[in-house]
Amino acid sequence: MNPSLAFLLRGLQQRLLSSASPLVPAKERAEWRREWQSELWHVRQACAPIDGDSWRAERQVTAFCVGAIQDAICLRRHAWQRTPPFYSLQGSASKCLLLLVAILAGSYALALLLPGVRVESHPSWYQVRPGTILIQDARYNNEAAATISADRYRLWKAKRQRYFDGFAFYQMSKQSVSAGSGAEAGLAIASGSSNLFAMLGLQVQLNGRTDARGSTTPSVILSQEIWKRFFKSDPAIAGSTIQVGGRLATIAGVEPDGAWRLPGRPDVWLLEPDSEIKSSGVGYVVAHLTALGRSEMWAHRVHITDYNEDDTGQDLWGISFEERTRGPWGVYQFTVMLAFLALPAITSFSLGEYSVSSHRPSWPRRLRCWGFLAAKIALLLPIVYYASLDLAFWFTTRYSPAAQYIQLLSSFSICLFGLQWTLLDQRQRCPVCLRRVSNPARVGHASWTFLAWNGTELMCLGGHTLLLVPGLPTSWFSTQRWLYLDATWDFLFAGSGVG
Amino acid sequence: MAKEPNLSHTAAIILQAINAGFFYGFSIMEMTGLPSGTVYPAMRRLERDELIRSHWERQSIAEAEQRPARKYYKLTALGKATIEASRKRYPLLERLIPSEEAKSV
Repeated sequence: MNPSLAFLLRGLQQRLLSSASPLVPAKERAEWRREWQSELWHVRQACAPIDGDSWRAERQVTAFCVGAIQDAICLRRHAWQRTPPFYSLQGSASKCLLLLVAILAGSYALALLLPGVRVESHPSWYQVRPGTILIQDARYNNEAAATISADRYRLWKAKRQRYFDGFAFYQMSKQSVSAGSGAEAGLAIASGSSNLFAMLGLQVQLNGRTDARGSTTPSVILSQEIWKRFFKSDPAIAGSTIQVGGRLATIAGVEPDGAWRLPGRPDVWLLEPDSEIKSSGVGYVVAHLTALGRSEMWAHRVHITDYNEDDTGQDLWGISFEERTRGPWGVYQFTVMLAFLALPAITSFSLGEYSVSSHRPSWPRRLRCWGFLAAKIALLLPIVYYASLDLAFWFTTRYSPAAQYIQLLSSFSICLFGLQWTLLDQRQRCPVCLRRVSNPARVGHASWTFLAWNGTELMCLGGHTLLLVPGLPTSWFSTQRWLYLDATWDFLFAGSGVG
Repeated sequence: MAKEPNLSHTAAIILQAINAGFFYGFSIMEMTGLPSGTVYPAMRRLERDELIRSHWERQSIAEAEQRPARKYYKLTALGKATIEASRKRYPLLERLIPSEEAKSV
């Protein structure tokens, strides 16, 4: 056999042993390595042919070394089996809190990695000016439908208004866009009035000019996706020109990702003077309410009647953007409140701290119990927030209705069942040492209910308490009770090592 | 009295091999034809259940023979009782690996 191949195989054999050894518990590792190295030496001696290296011999030795992995796994399993329940994660209060901190850190770290969550952490990017509404024809139930013509918008803007101090308009269309690099594509264009972004109060990245007044070419704002795809995220793009629908337009900036929460999902916003906006087709009108107009607002809506020249009125709705731009924080607050309200339906609030005897834990111990419960809830709430955000933005970068629905459902479920677990866990913690009781033992039979009691006894491994849980709740023994153990029980727990 | 553990066929073969005088892992592998990934974990379980116990060969002996010291395995009293019971359960065990006593008879 080739000597270099033999050398490689010997290296592999040693590598197998050294890779398997970390699996062996630290206490046994040195002896394990010594035994396997010794056995390997003997196996090599037994398998080595007299005339030098052979492929067959090296293969046998390598197969022998593969067994070390199974042996190491076996020893690791034995170590786990030997581990007493005291060391399990559910045992002590500090380990329970550490577990929650680890979950929180994990969900927060994951949230930092998701682009959608990063957008939501900058509310200034997507929050519009207070008092801004979207005006729609009341005959349409669909809020996403375009219902107002450009002529009507111009008419409203020309009239003196009491309830509004500004209007902006946009309409969606598909037009071809060609960049200087020669790339051309049919994109979703929002052709709007030049004051659209200023009216909404939305910030634009790269800080370009969005108002087209005084300019011969309209302004263009690119979406993040188009900026990345067509311009490779070039930060010096503001001021250059592209062709939109055969017309030259100056790039004014880039929309921060996820900032646009209005109907339609444009790739490019073409902002031009009102006179340039096409009269054909319908679009969306954005208006800003005066103080008088805001006083008419009810449930995020305002009813508007538009009177024509013949005094016939047409009903319109002004829909506030607050609902659309509330973001995940509002959904989170709502679901947490809902979960707290629903909690009594799935579990009792009672912590079962009723003592069989007159013994009561001291005030500091009781405060520690309550502090532990409060700490668990305090850790659970941010876990709910970040875990629900992780789920909502797992597949999407925008806070779409689907993402909102996922967040609503996950936030409510995690909060509700998390609170239920918090209470159930608290009920099974020794009031003295806050360690979970264990070793459940069935006591009595159901037929004893009226003469004695039957149920389950659980024991604190520190020897402080016994928890008696009735099998059949009766009027005299309806909830679990703690039996505080005095010093005479100490000899039973002498070897437990639990203080 | 402690209940005698029920042995698997593999564990019974390994126990019988040790009883027959194959005192270290590789010799048991050669005798039984079982791979290292079966023999060593099985011996760990047998040692955990106190059916066998291990000890290291004296370093002076190994050095005299210019080789590394080996770890030897021996049956405990419980192991001997268990192998007796296992022979009833696996009658072919004795014929497959004759023990020292059987060889001398």
